[in-house]
Amino acid sequence: MKWAAPAALRLGEFSLRFRPLDLGWILLTTLGLFAAVLAAATLGSFPLGWQQVWAGLWQPSGSGEGAMAHQVLWQLRMPRILAAMLVGACLSLAGVILQSLTRNALAAPGLIGVEAGGSVTMLMSLVLFPGLVPVYLLPLTALAGGLVVAVFILMLALRGDFSPLRLILVGIGTTAMLQAVSELLLTYGDIDRVESALMWLGGSLHKVTWTEVQVLALWFLLAGVPAMFAFRQLNLLQLGPAVASSRGLSQRRTLAVLLLASVMLTSSAVATAGTMVFVGLIGPHLARQCCGDRHGILLPLAALSGALLVLIGDTLGRWVFAPLQLPAGLVVAIVGAPYFIFLIARRREFAN
Amino acid sequence: MSDAAGLSPARRPGLSFAGLGLLGLVLLFTAFLHLGLGAKALDWATTWQALFQYDPTDLDHAVVRDSRLARLLVAVVVGAVLAVAGVLIQAITDNPLADPGILGINGGAAFFVVAGLLMVPGTDFAYLPWYAFLGAVSAAVIVALLGGRAHNPVRLTLAGAAVAALFSAMTATVLLLDQQGLDKLRHWLTGAIGAADVSKLLQVTPYLVIGLLLALSQVRSLDAHRLGARAAAGLGVNILRLKVVGLAAVVLLSGSVVAVAGPIGFVGLVVPHAVRLVVNADYRWILGYSVIVGALLVVLADLLARVVVRPYEINTGIVTAMIGGPLFIALVIRRVK
Repeated sequence: MKWAAPAALRLGEFSLRFRPLDLGWILLTTLGLFAAVLAAATLGSFPLGWQQVWAGLWQPSGSGEGAMAHQVLWQLRMPRILAAMLVGACLSLAGVILQSLTRNALAAPGLIGVEAGGSVTMLMSLVLFPGLVPVYLLPLTALAGGLVVAVFILMLALRGDFSPLRLILVGIGTTAMLQAVSELLLTYGDIDRVESALMWLGGSLHKVTWTEVQVLALWFLLAGVPAMFAFRQLNLLQLGPAVASSRGLSQRRTLAVLLLASVMLTSSAVATAGTMVFVGLIGPHLARQCCGDRHGILLPLAALSGALLVLIGDTLGRWVFAPLQLPAGLVVAIVGAPYFIFLIARRREFAN
Repeated sequence: MSDAAGLSPARRPGLSFAGLGLLGLVLLFTAFLHLGLGAKALDWATTWQALFQYDPTDLDHAVVRDSRLARLLVAVVVGAVLAVAGVLIQAITDNPLADPGILGINGGAAFFVVAGLLMVPGTDFAYLPWYAFLGAVSAAVIVALLGGRAHNPVRLTLAGAAVAALFSAMTATVLLLDQQGLDKLRHWLTGAIGAADVSKLLQVTPYLVIGLLLALSQVRSLDAHRLGARAAAGLGVNILRLKVVGLAAVVLLSGSVVAVAGPIGFVGLVVPHAVRLVVNADYRWILGYSVIVGALLVVLADLLARVVVRPYEINTGIVTAMIGGPLFIALVIRRVK
């Protein structure tokens, strides 16, 4: 697309080159997100017209005609919508980072054990010791599990030279083991706790409150926003280790920092919504379809498309089979995975 | 990916037979342990008598004969069959990290079985192998598509992991839509030999036999294929037929196992590598050893599953994953530079 002259945005040492077309994609995704938010706010067991939504948003929480709408919106739907978007953004960003670090289009936090690590510690606290860990500390439980796995696979991958292949494959082995542990918990746990745990595990935003939204937002600010500024390093890493170090990039440090960011993003999402393996796979690919590998645009666009994916998944999940609710993660997997498979099968260039 | 083990008994069939015989004895001994140990530990004399001087009025004898012997049989067959499937899939994909579990084939079969049981009215066990085959075939085709044409083990493995994740998400969805189904099936889903019985095994026997015959029919081509696809083609091997027939065998074998005992992973991965440590011969020997080592592994895993947390028991699939996971990682560290 040579016709679009690149523009540059300079801000101190950061310079971001983008093309008008990229802005178009960002705008389009944002519009889509806006429409999805509107749909999510109006649909449900208490249907609202969009005028009621608008009125309910601004109405003071008194009595009156719009009070019910206000209640539904502010206590149930808004936190859920925001959480869905944040979870999607976190997972998708984590996916981009991992895919670029490992230079493998099929890598995702869920496939290399980070989600499994977070979910095992979460399951332990849900099935074995329910009520032991307060809600606002749950992300830390997941983070502990995710971090242990990440450090483990990183250590093994870093023996000798850094090998993305080893990182991925060790991750797959670790995932399988951790899944055995989760299955142990799910098979022998108390059936009532297991059912709710399974609901959570499938990626459910069923019981999200403002507390979780605040926690998620905090983690996103801590790990996601800085990660978006690491686009230069990611661009360099994408070119291979030799080029990256010739440009003065300390590979190990960059790798460690970016992996940490990816784990933090994944863990906070896992703690809120359980495992959503396919968001971290599909979100980045949707974005890559639009803007290629230029991380300056890719990272924010991936965050947006991840947010869009989970929000749509969650809305479909609570709407299509109502009153039964399907977890968002499962909806994304079932709707998104065939598309993903089609995408990968078509793109020969991934066959390194 | 032939190992440079110097101990090759390839040209000394006597030694190979001796090794097979020795392993067979170990298997017999383990099987005897399997019969004696369990929720209720029996002394060895009782176990022996139950086998050879059966007394129908003795309750302990009934325990051995009726429940444990059946379970042992299922464990032996499942282990042997999974090992053969593992050898085949590693050989035809030329990927030392392949396994019906890791490549998503077991997951696909499990999803179709669960969906069939819970969603298709009037399903009885006779249909389950067919559901399992259908699931295994779909998973195999998707993974093959994702794996691409170029020879790339990592891509293939990751594609398998993605497909396995997809099918487990779909299984979870079906189970969430039908919560009674969850309670009924959650044990089976982690690979339960305890829940299996001989009648189910008998029903899949024809498919198992066909699968094994298909596998045996390709032994010569497999040996040639070890030299590389091009060399094999030069030797007159029909690579496409090898892959199609081999994959059909894998699908029949692992589909049958899933229908009987649920998805049990890692046996197909670990056994071929263990066998290659000592046997570096042609595929007839590798398959022969794998059958016995696979049976041994699953019998041992089942033994552990029943003894460690007595009187409860862990599901066999969980035990094999706990044993197989670390071995997989060790393998990756050794082989992938």
